[in-house]
Amino acid sequence: MKTQPTRRKLLQWSATAAASALLLTGCGAGANPAAEETGPVTIRFSWWGGDARQKATQKVIDAFNAENPNITVVGEYGDWNGYWDKLATQVAANDAPDIIQMDEKYVREYGDRGALLDLKKLNLDTSSIEGDTLKSGEVDGKLVGLVTGVATYCIIANPAVLEKAGVAMPDDSTWSWDDYKKIGQQVSQSGAGATGVGVGYSDQDLYIWARQQGDRLYDESGKVVIKPETLVSFWKNIQDLSKSGAAAKPSVIMENATASLNQTAIAKNQMGFSGSFNTQLTAYSAASGQPLKLLRLPGESQAKEPGAYYKASMFWSVSSRTKHQKAAEKFLNYLTNSQAAGDVMLTERGIPANTKIREAIGPKLSATDKAAIDFTDSIADAVRPAPPITPAGGSTILDILSRYTSDILFERTTPEKAAQPFIDELSSSLRK
Amino acid sequence: MSALSELGKLKGQGSKSEGRDTKAALVFLGPWLVGLVAITLGPMLISLYLSFTDYNLLQEPTFVGLDNFVRMFEDARLLNSLRVTFIYVLVGVPLQLAVALLIAMVLDRGIRGLPFYRSVFYLPSLLGGSVAVAILWKQIFGTTGLVNQFLALIGIEGPGWISDPNTALSTIILLHIWTFGSPMIIFLAGLRQIPHMYYEAAQVDGASKVSQFFRITLPLLSPIIFFNLVLQIVGAFQSFTQAFIVSGGTGGPSDSTMFFTLYLYQKGFGQFDMGYASAMAWVLLLIIGAFTAINFYASKFWVFYDD
Repeated sequence: MKTQPTRRKLLQWSATAAASALLLTGCGAGANPAAEETGPVTIRFSWWGGDARQKATQKVIDAFNAENPNITVVGEYGDWNGYWDKLATQVAANDAPDIIQMDEKYVREYGDRGALLDLKKLNLDTSSIEGDTLKSGEVDGKLVGLVTGVATYCIIANPAVLEKAGVAMPDDSTWSWDDYKKIGQQVSQSGAGATGVGVGYSDQDLYIWARQQGDRLYDESGKVVIKPETLVSFWKNIQDLSKSGAAAKPSVIMENATASLNQTAIAKNQMGFSGSFNTQLTAYSAASGQPLKLLRLPGESQAKEPGAYYKASMFWSVSSRTKHQKAAEKFLNYLTNSQAAGDVMLTERGIPANTKIREAIGPKLSATDKAAIDFTDSIADAVRPAPPITPAGGSTILDILSRYTSDILFERTTPEKAAQPFIDELSSSLRK
Repeated sequence: MSALSELGKLKGQGSKSEGRDTKAALVFLGPWLVGLVAITLGPMLISLYLSFTDYNLLQEPTFVGLDNFVRMFEDARLLNSLRVTFIYVLVGVPLQLAVALLIAMVLDRGIRGLPFYRSVFYLPSLLGGSVAVAILWKQIFGTTGLVNQFLALIGIEGPGWISDPNTALSTIILLHIWTFGSPMIIFLAGLRQIPHMYYEAAQVDGASKVSQFFRITLPLLSPIIFFNLVLQIVGAFQSFTQAFIVSGGTGGPSDSTMFFTLYLYQKGFGQFDMGYASAMAWVLLLIIGAFTAINFYASKFWVFYDD
């Protein structure tokens, strides 16, 4: 019976091992926060974005870590879609990153639920950020997002396609939606093998359209107030662009909408005009292989109110459960106010909201970065205040708009029939 | 059966060694048990609880009783997602099994280089559920993809297979059928089990190939068909990756590829309605359970056991 003691021991060992494993994890969860005031700390920093942003951000992190031996910033990143799924899970699991890159469509979602720290409690230097821009990150008087930069929705034009099609660059200070359609038709029919214009149905496109009609999507209290007529005209315009041949046929429109930036028709030099943010000019130009051009939105000069506005491109938020407020404060100050960080990030996260940094990075900018900034300045006289912040639950608007627009383009419903159900569905997805 | 009889034998060996064996078994099962409880059973129970709550991931769940389940009946998008999923399962699985059986029978005729062909045909099964192939599928069936380029050669302008709501689901079903490899391997093993003498006897009696198939192959293969059917139906109901990648996570265009699982995911992680998503998960479990039960019941009438 030699085996018996061995087995018993085996059991005892494994029991001990299991018990200690449980104890160890227990210890980990209840780590003592007092030790962190002086010793070295690690903070987690997460963002979404492409390759260029990842490289630039990592450079900034490395520089910060080198300057601050007591703080280690660890980056986590992903693409837009996966980012929000991951963040939701992390926050639910009480495992949120300390510093979170936040979008306008989600800032209320998280801010309302107390997941984000009031940044006014931190000692942040926001003196070089304009008041209105800074306020865009406020929810009920609490600053839950520190704006990183500004972007403006506009039209990107592809000069190479226009030249091939023999169509002159339009005068964007006067062009109407009707001009947009006609020029699009000219390009499509020119035999240049390109589509005239893109069709946009993101939240931005709807915002702009509504503003031009003197309407708006949400009111200040976060209620959906858009009139059904506004939606009907929005969709009719899209329908008209597609049917007239100015834009592509429905299946191509749907396909282009889910394509990555490099795979879009305008980036592949197969389209004349497309809606986009001015800060994406550099990325689109790089993909297309030649400098593209920024134009004002169509219909601005005929509209009741100009649609364009300065949008906070994104925010820095801090998890309300962070144990390292001091370190987060230091890193945010570095991201916002240090020229070293600005020199690396340039316009990657929008035209810097910090006006001093915006000046300082001037010499470092590429021609397309400069063009993006010049565009921002050039429309200063024609912008109106930004629409109220997206209410909690409003991030679903992208999905809802895409579904209704596709139903209309494929003639499964009509703009008239879709308007009220759209309003109802969007309203019910908002949180009370 | 053999494991049970082994156990029976062990029981006869006196209680002392039985106790030791039990302990040893527990030790060896330990890691698996921990996994089962911590990774499967625990989360399942929690999701059962969450299905009766309103839970937005960021705040504590609040109990709402059967509210989530009642809401499902009024949710037109959910009913549509059920419709899409049922079409996918009821069309995709039989077609996939038919293709699997066909290829298995061709391979069973003893072609040279069988292991090579077997691997080649099995490959899609390994790849089909993967993200990479779904992305490839998206390219092949794009408006300017391989399929439409080929159609253009013979003068046909193909639709946007994936971006048109009328054809998108069929394209994903095709992807499912293409992954016939794993049921094929099982069919191949089953075909090998059928004694050759039956066919010889049938040939002597002058039975045609067709009647040999229907009177010998199918009945003797029926347990295998049944096994494949149960497995594939359960798997198909849970399909997620293909629709997620091909539609870019939207279930579009126009919800035409909105699988039940994809809608569940959107509800839970996109709209922060985790209580509702949990309730949906349990409904899916019930549906799969019901289908499997029906399958087992129906099997009495068509599955033939040779032993």
